Amino acid sequence: MTLPATGSPFASGGVLAAALERLTALGGTTSEFKGMTSVTLPKSQLIEGLEAAKAAGMVMLTDVVGIDYLTYPGHRGKRFAVVYNIHDVTGRERLFVRVELDDGEASPTATGVWRGADFLERETFDMMGVVFEGHPNLRKLLTPEDLEGHPHRKDFPIGESPTLFNDGRFLDPATFRAGLMGQDTGLTGWKGGARDGVRSTQGTLPDERGES
Amino acid sequence: MGLRDLFEKDVQELEAEGILFTSLQKLVAWGRSNSLWPVTFGLACCAIEMMASTNPRTDMARMGSEVFRASPRQADVMIVAGRLSKKMAPVLTRVYEQMPDPKWVISMGACASSGGMFNNYAIVQNVDSVVPVDIFVPGCPPRPESLMYAVMQLQKKVKGEAFDERGVKLPMVEGWSRG
Amino acid sequence: MTTKTAPHHQDSVEGSFHTEYMRINVGPQHPSTHGVLRLVVDLDGEQIVSLKPQVGYLHTGFEKTFEHRTYQQGVTYSNRMDYLHGFGHDLAYVLAVEKLMDSRVPIRAQRIRVILNELNRIASHLIFFGTGLLDMGALTPFFYTQREREKILDIFELVSGARMNYGYFRVGGLYQDSPDGFEERVQAWYDDFWPHLEQYRNLWVGNDIVLARTKGVCVVPPEMAIDHALTGPSLRASGVGLDFRKAQPYSSYEDYQFDVPVYQEGDLWARMMIRFDEMVEAARIVKQALDLLEPGPVKDPDRRISLPPRQELENSMEAVIFHFKLVTEGFHPPKGEVYVPTESARGELGYYIISDGGSMPYRVKVHAPSLANLQSLEPSSIGGLFADMVINIASFDPVLGDVDK
Repeated sequence: MTLPATGSPFASGGVLAAALERLTALGGTTSEFKGMTSVTLPKSQLIEGLEAAKAAGMVMLTDVVGIDYLTYPGHRGKRFAVVYNIHDVTGRERLFVRVELDDGEASPTATGVWRGADFLERETFDMMGVVFEGHPNLRKLLTPEDLEGHPHRKDFPIGESPTLFNDGRFLDPATFRAGLMGQDTGLTGWKGGARDGVRSTQGTLPDERGES
Repeated sequence: MGLRDLFEKDVQELEAEGILFTSLQKLVAWGRSNSLWPVTFGLACCAIEMMASTNPRTDMARMGSEVFRASPRQADVMIVAGRLSKKMAPVLTRVYEQMPDPKWVISMGACASSGGMFNNYAIVQNVDSVVPVDIFVPGCPPRPESLMYAVMQLQKKVKGEAFDERGVKLPMVEGWSRG
Repeated sequence: MTTKTAPHHQDSVEGSFHTEYMRINVGPQHPSTHGVLRLVVDLDGEQIVSLKPQVGYLHTGFEKTFEHRTYQQGVTYSNRMDYLHGFGHDLAYVLAVEKLMDSRVPIRAQRIRVILNELNRIASHLIFFGTGLLDMGALTPFFYTQREREKILDIFELVSGARMNYGYFRVGGLYQDSPDGFEERVQAWYDDFWPHLEQYRNLWVGNDIVLARTKGVCVVPPEMAIDHALTGPSLRASGVGLDFRKAQPYSSYEDYQFDVPVYQEGDLWARMMIRFDEMVEAARIVKQALDLLEPGPVKDPDRRISLPPRQELENSMEAVIFHFKLVTEGFHPPKGEVYVPTESARGELGYYIISDGGSMPYRVKVHAPSLANLQSLEPSSIGGLFADMVINIASFDPVLGDVDK
């Protein structure tokens, strides 16, 4: 029972445009990066927006991504963002529905729209501390019961154990990486070039200037 | 001396000379080492290589590990195969405690032996801090041949023929419990 | 649910049993779970009333670790998540970073990636059959499938040096070109695969016990599948023909002719047989990619991503500077958020990578298909027998490294 190799028989095309139309009507702002379309909705319109997108054809939920913008350079705005990664049944059109939250602010749950958001929102709660109101079972999912805090937040340390060398030196692994972060010189004594990488030594490269 | 004396001398004579128990101990140790049944404690990628060591190419069953018993009550070696997370550590301790004596532990892979490439809040950095480990197997994951070599080293340890890194002979497990 | 009273109260009522639900804890150490999965099951006799998966016993903090390694170093971590289809995770990760960097991967590297990815898919499905049938009580197929898998692992060892957990894919292409004899080995494997596949077909596809245990059991209707964010072969076994290799082709998948098997029944049998058909299709893709393989470079020539070849270091100062910067610091993608969906043996796999312009990612969120697939376990098992639940777990093919990240 195999489908022919010429693609899915489901109707496609226009789903993204229809969904965007409904979401911008609800107050969403669109943005685009490398072919990926995101819509930022106000929190009060989130569930209505997801249902509208689902009705427009974005019927499948892929993922719920929690993002902590605490140390993001140049970020002005709320600390957390929750992104719902949804797509249509052919898989060709994808939309990212974002909602921005402060620390401690709760977001409505999408489990009424997709039952599959259950574990995904629990994971976001566990890792980022974003509370989802109305979730049937909001508990920790992945971390042990006695771990306090939310590990993927930027202010939660990674918890590295220092390495004990045979000659008795105790070295914190972060010192090896310090040069890469741009703030601390670490063991190498070199600072990492202000996060511009090669561009900081080369200026604009030939292909960026419009030459071949 | 040895097995021949068992047949030629009287039991009281042998006991007086202290030979009976030594020979019996060696016999028991030989039997134990050649029938080490592991308990299934596969956690992550190393578990797949542990399963692969039972396949016809690298046959672990010829070392005596004929079956991997799921119940710890019926096993005598625990191969901790994979990264041990801190949530799983109490479970590991409980399974280890349920195993009857004498029991041994092989820590398979870099993650079980030292935390491996994961140096963070979630992974126990050395399984030895949770259960006493007899053999550490390096590798990420160790090849099935490495695991086989580890089991062979454990067999030597069980029989009392093992040496540690300074050349000191490691004692054989005496009697019916761990020394 | 009818309640009946206990036999020693028979003097008071008609004479029937009072039963309670029994709560059983399955796992996390259990031979039948595919890794350290814990289930809290409420049973009424043998029938399942409720099923709550408790995961997290293999939580490793991958996503946090990615934030503390450079992009190129991330390749060592990605394949340890889903260790049975490691190349799938590697591919998803490097595709996402390459999209961020606008990197153009040479065609030879793309084709070799496809060959290795599909071979890994076959190896993963072989383990699925081995362990799935083991859960049913059949021990023999495990050893047969391991025999085939060893041959595939030999090819991986030839190419990357490791049987599992390879470090072969890099951002921008591959670590190095495939060694001499790679193409002959893959061709030999391909020629050898079909008689063994026939053997498997004879061994268990028509087997009465397998049919009796899997036909019509634990059905997942398509609406439930879509609602519960199910992807991959389990979704295609329920009638929804979604495969990202066809929907959004990546890494030269558009060059190959292959079918996407879709079954309508949605029961255990469909979920097993679809993986059988997928092995056939994957072998066809391997052959086509092998035929189209031509000599060429395997790394993106862009010096901002790939290390320059050693000969250039003797002549060019620029090459030395690029080499120094790349090795000590790594490349810096532009700021932005990117997601590339791929199809792994378990379902839709994608890495949502956020870059802040530094040499390490700011946030990496992995959409691991096994966690989303596990949500369909409860609704499809309720009302069924306990023994069916055991095979049901196997049929969704979860890998706990993927679930717990």
